[in-house]
Amino acid sequence: MIQFTLNGEPVEADDAAETPLLWVIRDTFGLKGSKFGCGAGLCGACTVHLDGRPVRSCVMPLAAIAGREVTTIEGISPTGVYSAVQQAWIDGSVPQCGYCQSGQIMAATALLARNPAPTDADIDRAMQGNICRCGTYPRIRSAIREAAGSLNVGVSEYLPDSDRQKEAEL
Amino acid sequence: MSLLQPSRRDFLKAAGVVGGGLVLSVPLSARADLPPNISPGEGSYSHDAFIQIANDGRVHFYMPRSEMGQGVYSSLATLIAEELSTPPEDISVHLAQVHEAYAGPENGLQSTGGSASMRTFYAPLRQTAANAREAIALAAAEKLQVPRESLTLAGGRVVSGGQSYSFGDFAALANTRPIPEMAPLTPAGSFQFIGKERSRIDAGPKVDGTALFGIDVDFPGLKRAVLKRCPVAGGRVKSFDATAAGAMPGVLKVVQIDSGVAVVAERYWQARQAADQLEVSWEMPELVGLSTDKHLDELRQQLTEEKGDRSHKDGEGADGLDGASEIHTAEYSAPFLAHATMEPMNCAVKIEGDRAEVWTGTQIPQVIRGLVAVHAGLDEENVEAHPVFLGGGFGRRLYGDVVVDATQIARESGLPVQLVWSREDDMRNDLYRPASVVRLEARLDDDGKLNTLNVKRAGANAYPSVVDGALPTIMPMGLARWVGRRVYDVFEHLVVDPTSTEGLYEDYDAPNKEARHVTVDTGLPVGLWRSVGHSFNGFFKEGFIDELAHHAGQDPVEFRLRNSRNDERFAAVLRLAADKGNWGSPRVSGASQGVAVHTSFYTRVAQVAEVTVEEGQIKVHRITCAVDCGLAVSPDIVRAQMEGSIVYGLTAALYGSIDVEEGQVRQSNFHDYPMLRMAETPDIEVFIVDSDEKPTGVGEPGLPPTAPAVANAVFAATGQRLRSLPLQLAT
Repeated sequence: MIQFTLNGEPVEADDAAETPLLWVIRDTFGLKGSKFGCGAGLCGACTVHLDGRPVRSCVMPLAAIAGREVTTIEGISPTGVYSAVQQAWIDGSVPQCGYCQSGQIMAATALLARNPAPTDADIDRAMQGNICRCGTYPRIRSAIREAAGSLNVGVSEYLPDSDRQKEAEL
Repeated sequence: MSLLQPSRRDFLKAAGVVGGGLVLSVPLSARADLPPNISPGEGSYSHDAFIQIANDGRVHFYMPRSEMGQGVYSSLATLIAEELSTPPEDISVHLAQVHEAYAGPENGLQSTGGSASMRTFYAPLRQTAANAREAIALAAAEKLQVPRESLTLAGGRVVSGGQSYSFGDFAALANTRPIPEMAPLTPAGSFQFIGKERSRIDAGPKVDGTALFGIDVDFPGLKRAVLKRCPVAGGRVKSFDATAAGAMPGVLKVVQIDSGVAVVAERYWQARQAADQLEVSWEMPELVGLSTDKHLDELRQQLTEEKGDRSHKDGEGADGLDGASEIHTAEYSAPFLAHATMEPMNCAVKIEGDRAEVWTGTQIPQVIRGLVAVHAGLDEENVEAHPVFLGGGFGRRLYGDVVVDATQIARESGLPVQLVWSREDDMRNDLYRPASVVRLEARLDDDGKLNTLNVKRAGANAYPSVVDGALPTIMPMGLARWVGRRVYDVFEHLVVDPTSTEGLYEDYDAPNKEARHVTVDTGLPVGLWRSVGHSFNGFFKEGFIDELAHHAGQDPVEFRLRNSRNDERFAAVLRLAADKGNWGSPRVSGASQGVAVHTSFYTRVAQVAEVTVEEGQIKVHRITCAVDCGLAVSPDIVRAQMEGSIVYGLTAALYGSIDVEEGQVRQSNFHDYPMLRMAETPDIEVFIVDSDEKPTGVGEPGLPPTAPAVANAVFAATGQRLRSLPLQLAT
């Protein structure tokens, strides 16, 4: 049994220690918002936040997250950065098929939580690991700019507690 | 005013499904604001299989096509919205289940492809919604005892005098009265939603993770399956040892099916781990001799040696070249390509007694239902195919291969299973866009006008794959296999698969034209890939036309305009792209421009690319796109489809190649079959020709001009004419 925090709740997973976090989230806990795209950390569809940082859950073994805090698209705070990003995505009609968009949004919120005013180069860098086969990149870029512009909340409001502590220590 | 042909009236009648308790669909997602079940309930108005109006006034639309990103969920709902004066976002859209009412008005099939949804449903859906509006208005007039003419519909309500009423107030009465036919349509000048700037209405569940894709389907008792297929397509199991796999944790069954050996386990990762332990020896098919290097050489050789079958001839055809003082000739090629949808192929099947259910993202729900019935040994009526969102389609989900596998695994294991392919499975078991080699020859008049165009393609035919996959649903399996082969043999040399030469010769004027085809089938599964034949023929044709412009010493835009007098819309879209794209003076400093224009699926698209080449690397900075798709029902979706097609087309232009060695596909995942990513994505601007012509599709036509526009810009930058895909400069 490996214990960790999933979307703010303490949980225990009985999966084998090497099971990728993605399948623990999807099969064991039934949260289907994080998607399987490549199984090799190449496409970003499975992106979740681990202690507030974006990670590819398809290559993150369960053992590596013991005691840590995992946030998926289902558990992300409905305020601040996330709502700004979500609204910008809806206003800009970003999604097409929508399959990669959970991962895109997890990458974008992680970016904006740390850097509320990213340059285009910052956006490219943060989003380079997320593939969209429908080609929504131009709209994702615009939506991130839009969300950044509309943000009127402090960064700390978004960060999970463990992260806020780390930020404070730095 | 009626947009419907007489035959379409019968379509609407046939579509009529009466009864308030109609259950033909599932909700978009588990969102609370949608009904948990679809029956709008007692007192509702059931117009037909497309529209119901519930007693609470809510309009329910059963959307008859698969939503794979192309936007039909929003754009078809917009048609309903317009005629019912109800904002699209207030309509409850349901993905329709399989039903004869949803057969395509043109081809009689419930399938999504060929950029046909808006083109074929524009008239019938507007008409059926107008009829529903009239039914509600007549019932309202009757109940309120006012003349029909005194009533209007606005904001999803009936307005009479100073009062407004819910549609629901009249739904029950309307349900007892005859359904109006051929009610007048809203005149274009009064459109509130058609042609207006609106956001797409399926974005909400796609940004909070609740949109339901096939891979997300789950229910108590559902097990996960991983299938080990032969590394060479079509190979069969000779023998296998499941001792190690069977002993792995969570493993429930190991079963053999037609295409391989499957492990069924409680959870996906357990099944995946166990499948790696399977020892399978294979009966290798003939395909094991295939290597793509040799294949392209063979195509070139056959182009030279074989006369081929004629698919088109104008004037004197190739004889127009006789006696020419100069014949311009070029040979172009394109590789096999995988679809690589973001959602890998997957399918869940549950067989219980004489009934079965199937969940899978598909472009062919009707065929899927039939395939499950055939492989589970059930009647088709006893199979329920649940619609879900598709994590990308691009033609890949026109095939039922994964459904056949999942059904056989469910049948053999006796368990409800979801088969999930890995990315590697998906990449190596595709129905690939066929590789092509084309030879083009042209004769120009002294004044630089095209006199003769003679083209010949060698390669496999993609279209039979669709028929092949569907045959077992209409005849017994053995017979289907036999007929499948017969059909090809019978038609071989009589009819050229139109998808093999489409787009190669149509767009430009020439008194003499000839197109021929040499079929070379390797046995590697091939299929329809976004824009199909146009995806490679557009590149060949537009590259060659650019060469001819250069030979004639003319500007590439001017040369195209001079030689495209047959279609004013084609010329206009080219002029618009040239104008908006600043043809002749690139916006990006130091960049070179290239242009291409192409008609596919009745839609004309022109693009101007701005490109630089540094240290042998092609960098695409900017693409300006103009599109004429008739009336743009949802302009923002038209723009989105152009953007998406350009990105998809750039991936093919710059990176895409599926290589086969000894019958095995070498690529496996996104490291060796790369996709365009954000940093490489150019600035894209899309301009839509203002038009009141009937709408045509936009899911595919944005793709064909992209690769040639870039290649032509590379020529302008370097003088190198790149005639094969993916584009690579000589070092």
